[in-house]
Amino acid sequence: MDLSFSEEQEMLWKSARDFLANKCPKTMVREMEEDEKGYVPELWKEMADLGWIGLPFPEKYGGGGFSFLDLVVLLEEMGRACLPGPFISTVVLGGLPILEWGTEEQKQNILPQVCEGKAILTLALTEPSARYDAASIQIKATPEGDNYVISGTKLFVHDAHIADSIIVVARTAEKASPEEGITLFIVDGKSPGISTFVLRTIAGDKQCELTMDKVKVPKANILGKVDQGWGMIKKIVEWAALAKSAEMMGGAQQVLEMTIDYAKERVQFDRPIGSFQIIQHYLADMSIDVDSSRVSLHKAAWMLGEGIPCTKEISVIKGWISEAYRRVTAQAHQIHGAIGFTKDHDLELYFRRAKAGELFFGDADFHREIVAQQLGL
Amino acid sequence: MDFRFTEEEEAFRKEVQDFLRKSLPPDWLGVDPGPEEESREEVYPLALEMWRNLGAKGWIGLTWPKEYGGQEASLWKEMTLLQELAYRGVPGMDLAIAQADLFLNFGPEEQKRRFIPPIARGEVKWAIGMSEPNAGSDTFAVQLRAVEEEDCFVLNGQKIWSSGAHHAKYQVVYARTDPDKHLGLSVFIVDLESPGITMRQITQMTGIPAFCEVFFDNVRVPKENLLGEKNGGWQILLHAFGAERTYGLFIIYNAKRYLEQLVQYCRETYVNGQPLAKDPLIRNRLAQIAIEIEVGLNLGHELNWMATQGMPTVKASSQIKVHGAAVAQRMANLGQQILGLYGPLNEDSKWVKLGGRFRHTYLSAVAFSMAGGTSETSRNHIAGRFGLGLPRK
Amino acid sequence: MDFRFTDEEEAFRKEVRDFFEKELPPDWPGVDPDMYHEDSFEEIHQVSQEMQRKLAAKGWLGLTWPKKYGGQEAPLWKQMILEEVLTYRGAPGYDAYSFLGGCGDLILEFGTEEQRQKFIPPMCRGEVKWATGMSEPNAGSDLANLQLRADLQGDYFILNGQKTWQSAAHHADYGLVYCRTDPEARKHRGISIIIVDYKSPGITMSRIVHMSELGAFNEMFYDNVKVPKENLLGELNGAWGLVMAALSHERTYGVQLIVNIKRDLDLLVQYCKETRVNGQPLAKNALIRNELADMAIQLEVARTLGYKLNWMALKGLNVITTANQMKILGGILTQKLAILGMQILGLYGQLGPAGGNWRQMDEKKDKWAKLGGRMKHLYLSTVCNTIAGGTTEVARNAIATMGLGLPREPRPEKK
Repeated sequence: MDLSFSEEQEMLWKSARDFLANKCPKTMVREMEEDEKGYVPELWKEMADLGWIGLPFPEKYGGGGFSFLDLVVLLEEMGRACLPGPFISTVVLGGLPILEWGTEEQKQNILPQVCEGKAILTLALTEPSARYDAASIQIKATPEGDNYVISGTKLFVHDAHIADSIIVVARTAEKASPEEGITLFIVDGKSPGISTFVLRTIAGDKQCELTMDKVKVPKANILGKVDQGWGMIKKIVEWAALAKSAEMMGGAQQVLEMTIDYAKERVQFDRPIGSFQIIQHYLADMSIDVDSSRVSLHKAAWMLGEGIPCTKEISVIKGWISEAYRRVTAQAHQIHGAIGFTKDHDLELYFRRAKAGELFFGDADFHREIVAQQLGL
Repeated sequence: MDFRFTEEEEAFRKEVQDFLRKSLPPDWLGVDPGPEEESREEVYPLALEMWRNLGAKGWIGLTWPKEYGGQEASLWKEMTLLQELAYRGVPGMDLAIAQADLFLNFGPEEQKRRFIPPIARGEVKWAIGMSEPNAGSDTFAVQLRAVEEEDCFVLNGQKIWSSGAHHAKYQVVYARTDPDKHLGLSVFIVDLESPGITMRQITQMTGIPAFCEVFFDNVRVPKENLLGEKNGGWQILLHAFGAERTYGLFIIYNAKRYLEQLVQYCRETYVNGQPLAKDPLIRNRLAQIAIEIEVGLNLGHELNWMATQGMPTVKASSQIKVHGAAVAQRMANLGQQILGLYGPLNEDSKWVKLGGRFRHTYLSAVAFSMAGGTSETSRNHIAGRFGLGLPRK
Repeated sequence: MDFRFTDEEEAFRKEVRDFFEKELPPDWPGVDPDMYHEDSFEEIHQVSQEMQRKLAAKGWLGLTWPKKYGGQEAPLWKQMILEEVLTYRGAPGYDAYSFLGGCGDLILEFGTEEQRQKFIPPMCRGEVKWATGMSEPNAGSDLANLQLRADLQGDYFILNGQKTWQSAAHHADYGLVYCRTDPEARKHRGISIIIVDYKSPGITMSRIVHMSELGAFNEMFYDNVKVPKENLLGELNGAWGLVMAALSHERTYGVQLIVNIKRDLDLLVQYCKETRVNGQPLAKNALIRNELADMAIQLEVARTLGYKLNWMALKGLNVITTANQMKILGGILTQKLAILGMQILGLYGQLGPAGGNWRQMDEKKDKWAKLGGRMKHLYLSTVCNTIAGGTTEVARNAIATMGLGLPREPRPEKK
């Protein structure tokens, strides 16, 4: 067993931390919450130039050929910095599925653009029932000649309003089990009949209502096989949950550090509040949440990179960190007192992102159910 | 980064599993790690046998020098064994192991040769004499006196909460040789058959008389039984704390066994025509415990890796101890919830489920956040200079 | 022992309920007792002002106060019932703190006759708003560490310094400001309470926005502010005694939090009954049933403790321990409910208007919000419930030492 980072991974997180400390100040983070697009195109280009957007994609498409664990290392730094923008949408929700199941033509059309920072992708999965199960996929895609026609509403679609391509999950057949008859389509974001608007969310991230009114999608844009999309979705949910867990990990670590610093500096009753036993115990418990999350995150990411089945491990970390990160931010607020709950203190940025992360691709109850299945219950 | 165990470690694990399959009764439900359950009448013979068998296999003190009966094997190998033993709930692995570690670090050659080989052979059991009525979390508040005479030390005083002392041949006793609180402790190896020693067993709320009060009335201890330097006990104490790395991890492996028994129970038990395993609340709660155990095991493996790298482990071992105790207690609680009215039944009841293990763990888990250091002191360690660096006053 | 209310009490409860049924706007979802909504949003502030006048017209402000100052000399139980109904309905316009344990009560108990004559009647007539000036950047939990100076020069105190977390200050007419009047004395021995006209020259305010986007607080800067010496409340340098008296009166906060959040629990239950997911009402989901029931149990237990607290106050018993227990329960349970509400709403919990202002919902951005975005707002706003008005930690200390008789932590040696 070796739980150290490789030299490359050390370099990756260190350079990412420095870059983001410089290029992702909290003022920008806050501006992006109000901004329509939600990201800074110049920064996106810089990230592409650094190879970040292409990190997990093979070199032949312009990527770096890095592992999921490497991606996780980078995502932790992004979470630490509260980096806004469509990174997970593009790389994980859109890019990885195309890499995994796309035809060579689909990959060539899209992935190099992604790696160069010229294409933004996302996945439209959830509908107004707001769940991640197969029965919730009710939008229909009907065959018409060389196309499929899709109509209906998707909700909570991240970055749909700026996406060049959207992978839309639709029902193409009614079969005995709801898991059969689902198909994934790569839809051009500018197709006639598509309209989006951005919802006002707790974390200021750009989740959209996506309405499709008889949107035509060429059959060539089917990702994978007709009616057999659900197996792919299950994998995408795992990747998304793991990626978000990594981002949450970085945020949780930062919150812990911030709070330790505050406890050392803040003096009341003639002593730093960090010298009171209860504050020490709160921080001790927070450190358990943070450190236990980290190793569990890395284990799942390593397994995924090695091709070892890790459905359970991914649900373990997402199920765990969904609540652990929330606990850590809540406890951090308690320790910070009033200063921490002002709008212009950094802490509230993490508190809100912890909630958004919790809900992203399965909250704790969702992942506990997966673990229950894995236990054989 | 690589989370795999090596082929050698996996092979050894299999070897241990085969050994346990042969050595344990077929319906073995497991006991908790540590000497407490050995004090059950029906367990003690098996404990003695396992201790000897482990010795015969050369598996006690795997990492010790060969000249004292060890194998000079890697820490990973030792961890593989100990984890498997905790997971299977095997009795017999004696506190002696931790004491031998003290000899290796602080003892003169003579003590190493005298005491370590019998331990390696599984022939002798040891106890720890640290706590006193007024020295619990405040470990240095030891009052038992050791007065130096010409040819021996004379010990007077009392120790308490000494697990398994009634079965042990020797006790490692922390005694006061100087009034200075922190710099006045010395450590002695005491033969528990010495004149002047009386013992009283204390029954725990589990019903097991696992603890002892040990009274010292002018007990003469030969000078060659002083471990380390006179007044140098603080060093040994700190080392002992640091070596307590593993307790939390074993608690979690132990909890894993209980969880699996509970899962199996839920799959097989039908209520109103439906297996308990299909009850949404039960699924959710069992999954949560499984997650907490998994996360704890990951922490524990990381801790072991850090130890092999020579990295400081005070913070991590304290973290896993706090987490492990809490998870075990939550699991015990869940077990009672799931078993419902059957939960509190004694193991000898006609209607008992799962051998009464869940009644036992509900009571025994209470101690997990106290024994070997309370969760509060553990949190102090996490917060302090070996961990988060928070100020004292 | 009898847990019933008398006929008289029930009749008054009905009277108050009917009043709010009639007077509250029909779309009124309820505001929280901290008054942050009323202080943050102009349109809600208007409703608050109107309600304050209506309450005054009913004689319901300062119910228990002496008639000669405009009160009704009504029994305390009447005020308790008023506050309970008002809080459950989330009615604006009533600052409970001003009327019980806070400004008014302190002036009545410790003020001069002139002060009572001057300040109490306008409070009863609903013409003024009051605030309290305690916290400073270096005086949070350690209130006695406050630094704002009030130097007596002739007929005036001259105030210099800074206050922070001043809720309600931008709408307040007056405040009870805690000042340091003797810099040489040891910490809490050199503090006085001075009644300050918040429109005085030399006072500037700067709004602090809460993480829930409510602009409820202010920093207040005092630059040579002249306050007539007659505005000293109680003894010079004697404020600490008043603080202790104020705390023992300060029942209301925890109780209000619990009563208020019951409205939200009822809202969640209704939502679960009406909302179907994949054909089944949420109310039939086993996990949700269990958690809602658990929440209901905890709230019921806390509420009953709140009744006990009220009864103890009526009997003149020492309420410090129970009041602090209620404060803790109020903070923790409101946070738990917010978490539960978010859990139930799932992805929808993220949606809602800024500051939970239902009057400013955007037809697109907030289109899909449930319950007017109430749960999102609660989730953000309840963070301060275990901090504002005294932290949970300080409350636990009070319970441990004053209630359970445990020894105080030894103070560190001063350097």
